[in-house]
Amino acid sequence: MEFGFSADQEQLRAQVRRFLDAECPLERVRTIMTSREPHDTGLWKKMAELGWQALVIPQQYGGLGLAWEDLVVLAEQAGMSLLPSPLLADAAAARALCAMGSEEQKERWLPSIASGETIATLAVLEESDDLSENGVTLEAASSPGGVTLGGRKMFVPWGQAADLFLVAAREGAGVSLFAVPAGSAGITVTPLKLVDATIRAAEVVFDGVVVQDSSRLGEKGRAWPALSRVLDAATVTLAAEMVGAADAALRLATEYAKVRKQFGQPIGRFQGVKHRLAEILVDVESSRSLVYYASWAVDHLEDARAQVSMAKAYASIALDRAGEDGIQIHGAVGFTWECNAHLYYKRGRVCRSIDGTPEYHHERLLACQGL
Amino acid sequence: MDFSFSEREEAFRREVREFLAASNPNTGAEGGEDIESAMDRLPKLLAWNQALHEKGWVGFSWPKDVGGGGGGLIEQMILKQECGSARAPMLGLSYMGLAWVGPGIVKYGSDEQKKRFIPPILKAEEHWCTGYSEPGSGSDLASLQCKAVRDGDHYVITGQKIWTSLAMWAQWMILLVRTDSSSTKHHGITCVLVPMNSPGIEVKPIRTMNGETPFAEVFFNDVRVPVANRLGAEGQGWEVTKHALANERSSIAEVTAMVHALEDLKGLAARCSRGGRRAIEDPFVRQRLARMETMIEAMRLTGLRFLTRQLRGEEVGAETSVNKLLRAELEVEIGRLSLEIEGRYGGLAKGSAAVVDGGRWQHQMLSWPAYVIGGGTPNIQKNVIAERLLGLPHD
Ligand SMILES: Cc1cc2nc3c(=O)[nH]c(=O)nc-3n(C[C@H](O)[C@H](O)[C@H](O)COP(=O)(O)OP(=O)(O)OC[C@H]3O[C@@H](n4cnc5c(N)ncnc54)[C@H](O)[C@@H]3O)c2cc1C
Repeated sequence: MEFGFSADQEQLRAQVRRFLDAECPLERVRTIMTSREPHDTGLWKKMAELGWQALVIPQQYGGLGLAWEDLVVLAEQAGMSLLPSPLLADAAAARALCAMGSEEQKERWLPSIASGETIATLAVLEESDDLSENGVTLEAASSPGGVTLGGRKMFVPWGQAADLFLVAAREGAGVSLFAVPAGSAGITVTPLKLVDATIRAAEVVFDGVVVQDSSRLGEKGRAWPALSRVLDAATVTLAAEMVGAADAALRLATEYAKVRKQFGQPIGRFQGVKHRLAEILVDVESSRSLVYYASWAVDHLEDARAQVSMAKAYASIALDRAGEDGIQIHGAVGFTWECNAHLYYKRGRVCRSIDGTPEYHHERLLACQGL
Repeated sequence: MDFSFSEREEAFRREVREFLAASNPNTGAEGGEDIESAMDRLPKLLAWNQALHEKGWVGFSWPKDVGGGGGGLIEQMILKQECGSARAPMLGLSYMGLAWVGPGIVKYGSDEQKKRFIPPILKAEEHWCTGYSEPGSGSDLASLQCKAVRDGDHYVITGQKIWTSLAMWAQWMILLVRTDSSSTKHHGITCVLVPMNSPGIEVKPIRTMNGETPFAEVFFNDVRVPVANRLGAEGQGWEVTKHALANERSSIAEVTAMVHALEDLKGLAARCSRGGRRAIEDPFVRQRLARMETMIEAMRLTGLRFLTRQLRGEEVGAETSVNKLLRAELEVEIGRLSLEIEGRYGGLAKGSAAVVDGGRWQHQMLSWPAYVIGGGTPNIQKNVIAERLLGLPHD
């Protein structure tokens, strides 16, 4: 029994930290977040040189063959820096290809994802915001050329930057998953404007998009169980980012509390302030434990839903509070555009409902137990 | 990360399971038990202690040469886990003796002290109480005033202690006294081991809001204690105490009691009706049960992270306040939620007709302060976290 990171993982953490401090400080995040480009290609290339896009892709497809818990090491650091990048959406799509793709499909896509040449993303959720299999209504109809996709996907993570969509579609009674290049005829991508501008999402319309049968991952109408496990893994990296962001919000407010003086002393001496900070730390450490364990669980347990739900629920609550209180502890300064506190707050408000709210996950946790 | 156990550890788990299948007294009294009924079960519990002791499982991780089990931290966790899931009684009955007095004596005690005190703790032949708090010194423990003056090879002790758990039943007290009043707060404090039948000790039980008398005021009127009963050096009492309390908090992966309470709460919610439907169908109840489960799991996992750090030889200190705070929150929430699930029945007192589960939840609702206040209040835990982990200025 060992619940801690290995020396290699600690090294990865340090490497990621160094890179993000140098290449993506918050000033840079602010520039990227107001840019009209779909994503920052310069940053993307540099990350590819370090092998980040290749992290969880098996070695035979040009990847590094690491585990999801290694990616979580990265995700937590990314969250601390509010890294604005399709990196984790891309990793989730790669995981779907690994889990569900044929040998041919893997050879076709994984090496170029690993090198950073192709950016992939999952297109699952629709207007109904229903995370269950029922939520997938985009239609896949057999046609002479193969399959025709028709419908609309919402909140496609980094859809505007993607070269490849893995699209969940209703096919017969079940759900299938198709690998569809973003440039295919009939696809329209409209960026959504999020409250948190450090992450991106798009609305993607599929209007009579014709794809080959060979672009279907796995069996017809049987994709959901595997896909839902992939979504769980994606939920864990999201939660890890949120823990990182909550920790960064905590550090920012703590540093401020040490230097800001009122009534002749640092405000961090007042318990109204210091106790709130201590409570945030309790939330950060608690959700961190849950996230780390869930990251192990998605690779090692048959069914990791309960672990994932607990991790996401607690991480959401932790970041929400850290974001809100982080602003309050800064006083009026915290309300200004220049103060970074609002960046964490916005991340929390938006991510809370991505991949399921705490309330959704609480329900799911009990449902897993037959309650 | 690796959550598997070695072959040796698995074998140990099997051994524990077999032992439990044969010897678990399963007295069934968990949660909501008052002291009187615990006393009724005493003979069975002593037999249990004896059986555990023969296995070397009382004082499991203490060194062999003092009579402990010489076991490792992981096996200790397995032992606790298995006993927990079998709902067996505590591992050893001399609660304070095992939690901090024993470890304190192992670390700071003389050879004679180890020989004299450790075996009766392991065999549950002697029970201990803890004389730290005073009327004027609770959270600010280092301000304590109870004093000891040297007279030949004795200390003469005068003063008062309060909130001394189990003082009426204990044979011994681990006592903090001021031996040097000129010295700054922490320095003039000394730790002494005091027989509770010493002339001049007076014990006055205190009744709590649940109607029980779990602790007492203890008065010292010129009580003479041999200097040989001093634990550690004169003036070293604060260090001894810090070590002892760190030990208390290092039972960090221990969430069994809360896991059981949650299981039972779910059962309660499935049985009780609330506004015409079963409480378990009420989203408000469901959300809170799930949140509780999430917090308990977080505690368990954080405990395992700390345990891993200990196994790697790293220190774990103020971090344990994280779980202590969660525990405090959960204890209150269990009391609150259980009565809400019961609805109108939640207002019935223990002993009333129609009271649910024999009044166990009402007892919890009236007992949480023991966990929240005892051993340091949440405010104090937050100070510890803020000052030691976040580096914020002292109060
Ligand atoms: C069930 C139970 C068993 C106990 N058993 C024992 C025992 O066996 N032996 C023993 O020695 N003691 C025992 N105690 C005593 C316990 O350790 C003290 O009650 C505790 O440390 C708090 O001290 P106090 O009660 O004097 O409260 P106080 O210190 O007077 O605190 C009152 C309130 O003020 C707050 N407060 C105090 N100082 C600060 C501060 N600096 N910042 C913010 N808030 C502050 C506290 O959080 C609390 O809310 C027991 C207590 C209980 C409830």
